[in-house]
Parts: sequence; C-alpha cells; structure tokens
Amino acid sequence: MPEQEVALKANRNAVYRKRSGFVNEIWKNKLYYLIALPGILYFVIFAYLPMPGIIIAFKDYNYLDGIFGSKWIGFKNFEFFFKSEYAWKTTFNTLFINGNYIVFGTVTAILFSLMLNEIRQVVFKKLYQNLMFLPYFISTVVVAQFVYIILSDEYGLLNIFLKAFGLNAVQWYQNASYWVPILVIINIWKTTGYSVIIYLATIAGIDEGMYEAAYLDGATRFQKIWYITLPCLIPTVIILTLLAIGRVFYGDFGTIYPLIGENGQLFATTEVIDTYVFRAVSRMNELCMPAAVGLYQSICGFILVLGSNLLVKRINNERSLF
Amino acid sequence: MTERKDRISDIIFHIVFVVFCFSTLLPFVLTLIVSISDEMSIIKNGYQLIPDKLTLDAYGILLSGDNVFNAYKISIIVTISGTLLALLVSSMLAYAISVEKVKYRNVIALFMFFTMLFGAGLVPWYIVMTQFLHLKNSIFALILPMLVSPYNVFLIRNYFKSLPKEMVESAEIEGATPLGTLVRVIIPLSAPIIATVSLFISLGYWNDWNLSLWLIDKRELYPIQFMLYKINSLINYMKSQGSKNAYGGLSIPKESVQYATVMITIGPIILMYPFIQKYFVKGIMIGAVKG
Repeated sequence: MPEQEVALKANRNAVYRKRSGFVNEIWKNKLYYLIALPGILYFVIFAYLPMPGIIIAFKDYNYLDGIFGSKWIGFKNFEFFFKSEYAWKTTFNTLFINGNYIVFGTVTAILFSLMLNEIRQVVFKKLYQNLMFLPYFISTVVVAQFVYIILSDEYGLLNIFLKAFGLNAVQWYQNASYWVPILVIINIWKTTGYSVIIYLATIAGIDEGMYEAAYLDGATRFQKIWYITLPCLIPTVIILTLLAIGRVFYGDFGTIYPLIGENGQLFATTEVIDTYVFRAVSRMNELCMPAAVGLYQSICGFILVLGSNLLVKRINNERSLF
Repeated sequence: MTERKDRISDIIFHIVFVVFCFSTLLPFVLTLIVSISDEMSIIKNGYQLIPDKLTLDAYGILLSGDNVFNAYKISIIVTISGTLLALLVSSMLAYAISVEKVKYRNVIALFMFFTMLFGAGLVPWYIVMTQFLHLKNSIFALILPMLVSPYNVFLIRNYFKSLPKEMVESAEIEGATPLGTLVRVIIPLSAPIIATVSLFISLGYWNDWNLSLWLIDKRELYPIQFMLYKINSLINYMKSQGSKNAYGGLSIPKESVQYATVMITIGPIILMYPFIQKYFVKGIMIGAVKG
C-alpha cells in the first residue's frame, strides 16, 4: 500500500511539475528573463511583427483597404513578376554579381594574404595591411563619389589619362557591359583588407614546426606555401565561401544604388532584386509586386542560408553559427 | 640559388602591394585635391592631381548654411546613443542566455537566430515601420531598427561563457541580481569584446544611410552620409538642367563642391583611423580564430 501511495504521489507531483513548469521556470529566473526582454522585444517588433505582412504578396493591396481589406489574388503577383522579364534579369544579375564577388574576392584575398605573410619587414607588413583596410571604413555613398571621380565622362581621371595617351574617352556611365567588372573591382577595393586580416589570423595559427620540418627537407618558399600554408587556409576559405553563398540572393544594394541611381542605361547588368524592389516601392508606389518579390527572395535566401550553414556545421562544428 | 629566387619574389610582392595601396589611396588624395581646386581649372583640365589654381570656395559654400552642421549633430547623436543603447540591450540579452540555469536560453537563442535565416522582406518591414510604429521622420527611426544584431549577441554570449564561472557564482552568492552581476562583474571582465562590438556598432551607425533613405524626408533629420548623398544628387540634377538655376542665377562650383562634401563626411574617419584601426583588427582576429 505505502509503495502505491508513494508512486501515486510521485506521479501527481510529476504532473504538477510539468503543468506549471513554464511559469515555474520564468518565475524562478525572472530577473534573467527580465533583462533579456528588451532584446527579445526588439526581435518581436522588427523581425517577427512584419512577418504576417507577407500576405500582402498574395493580395491586391491598397492603402485604403489596408492589409486585411484588400482583395486576395493568390499567386497573381508572382505570376506577373515571373512572366515579366524582370524575374530572370534581376535574379541573374543578383546571382551573377554576388558570384563574381565571391570568386574574385576570395582569390584576391588568398593571394594577398599569402604574399603579405611572406613580407618580413614588419613595418611594411603593417603599413600595407592598414592601407588595404582603410576602404572598409568608408560608406557606400562616398564610394559612389570615388567611382565618379575616376570614371566621370568629362573630367574623370581615367578619361583624362586615356585622352592624354591619344585614345578616345569612354562613356563609362552609359554602357551597361562595363559595370559587372567595375562592381567587382569596387568590391575588391573595399573588402580585401578585411578578408586579408581574417586569413592572416588563420595563417598565424599554423604550427611553426611544420615550416621548420619543411626547411630541413629543403623546401622552397613556394613549396612551403603550396604544401603547408594553403592547405591550412582552405577550411577557413570554405567556411567563409559557404557563408557568402548563403547570402547570394541578397544584392549589394548599398553599393549599387548610389552608383547607378536612376541611370536606366545601366540597369541591364546592375539591376538586382533589392534595387528593383526599392524602385517599385518608392517610384511606382505600389506594394504588392515588390512584396511578392521580397518573399521570393527571402525564401530562396532561407534555403541557401540554411543549406550552407548545415554544410559548414558538417565540416567544422565550432565555426557554424549554431 | 633559392635565396635569389626568394629575393625576386620579395620584390614582386612589395611591388604588388605598393601598387594596390597606391590605387587604394588614389581616390582619397584626388578627392581632397579636387575639393580645393578652382572650378575653372577643373572644367579646362578635368580632375587633376596638380590643379592650376587652389581655392577654398567649395568649403565656404558648404559650411555657410546649417545643413552640414545639423547633419553632423544628428550623426553624432545617433551614433553615440545608438551604440550605448545597443550595447546595453545586446549584453543584457547575451548574459541572460549565457547562464546555464536559465532553462529557455536556447529557445531564445533559436528565436534570435531564425531572424538571420529568414526575413519578411522590405515591404512588410516598411509597413510596420511607417503604419504601426509611426517611425517615419523620427530620430528613433535612425536608432531602433539597427539596434540588435544576432551576430553580436552571439559573440558577446560566447565571450561571457568563456569567463571563469567562480566569478559569476561568487557574485550571486553575495546576493547580486543578474543585472548587478552583469554590470559590476561581467562587463568589466569583458572589456575586449565590449570594445570590439561597440566599435563595429558605431561604424555601422555612422555609415548608415539606408534607414534615412526609407524613413526620413525632413532635412533637419538627415545624418551626414545621407546629407552627402542628397547634396550630390541635387548637384547632379542641377548639372543636367544647365548651369544657371535655383541658386538665384549664381552658378556654384558644382564639381569641387561634390568632393568637398565627401571630404567633410570622411574627414573624421580618416583622422581617427590610425588610432582606432588596431582595435578593429584585433576584433576581427578574435572573431576569426574563435569562429
């Protein structure tokens, strides 16, 4: 009898504990949850509250009827977008530009960090690193003006140079085909310093003993780089690249918009999803199509970010974000 | 033999970096020079490194009105208060989810992390900002939307977790509240990560113009980067309309003013750069090595 009573009591206590476990926990650690609250509220308001707004993508939204009053039109917005040439063009531009960023940016950063690592005079090493890092601190509206100072049709440095050598000036701002290379160069200018710092930190962590052993074996500088330094860099490169691939559906609005503005002649190669959405909202003052496009971008982005992060996790558990 | 090959590759490396660094600096130097160049010599010769005539007219024009000073005021207010507030909220959140006895800390972490994977998009965000929060044309519009970054919170949390547990426990035994422990014990011990994170947050606020683009159309509230953008857009528009215009028939030195605006905007960054860059470098290295 007593055992059954004990068992019943234990069972009841267990149920009691389970029922009010949530409230119990919050109350027990209430001060902790309290200080977490402002941060949590931030995400609720700025990240989760907009989410129901996704239904605008499925409605014929107008301001008067509001979100809930507007007519439901299902996938019509998506249909319109995908039937138009914009879907393919903006998606392609976004992926193509970002892809180029990743490829050229990574190759440049690897090359530069390998070379910088070989520079023995610390003074120069620091100097080069610091100078390369400076563009990271410049805002993208300033970058647009820097590009203009070089590429401006009439007064730009490049055209002045070309004319001085007897060549014809080039109308850079009127020909879309120049702009993917230009954007890649800008991206390299702005981000190499930052990437080199990361790679140098990784290289600094390589075991000295390996280099000594290689030296004893008579390895040349380039053999040391190829067989030791580079393989040790590869994991970091892979992780950073995977993370970048996760973001590949999000275009470089910050750089592109101040540069291109409303210059329609350059849209063919530089109109990315983000600039397209911005223009739709601000110029044409319509909200349903850009909402659909934004949702399309978020879903593609989600799949890629999740996928790439899962891959990163499999390679190196600590490096992933979770 | 190898030494000669090494020396040659040494020289090549140096050359590569000298060229790259030179081209990195070129826009800065050219901008400075053009901003003090005489407009006529620009029209005649284009942007030159050695102009015919120098003048400070462009700066005179820019600094004569309220716009630049106002914009600086806004940027400074937003950056300082934004950084402090962001640090406070982020470290409170980070601390709460770093303590093991908080059972739902991983739920909160996941809640936060999910926002790094999926967003509702710009249109719903914009509607929430303007119609539900009425954040348009308010200084809070420049501060709040950027306040907490999940990445920063995770960085801070991981640092907190790496602190010796005895410190935390002894503070708790003495009856300190979580907030008290955080402020009096944890944060002083976390100076490196706090310094790093605050630098990156500050840079983010200072360079941001995106929020202004979406949410601000009152000139008194433009921060300096957005003011730069607006001034130069206006000048470009004026150029496309012909040279005599709204400035009461006077034509302003349109070319040099654009670059004077840039100099005014990046001046502080460049001046502070030698002093603060090593903290950024250290911060990135901590992030890189610890992942």
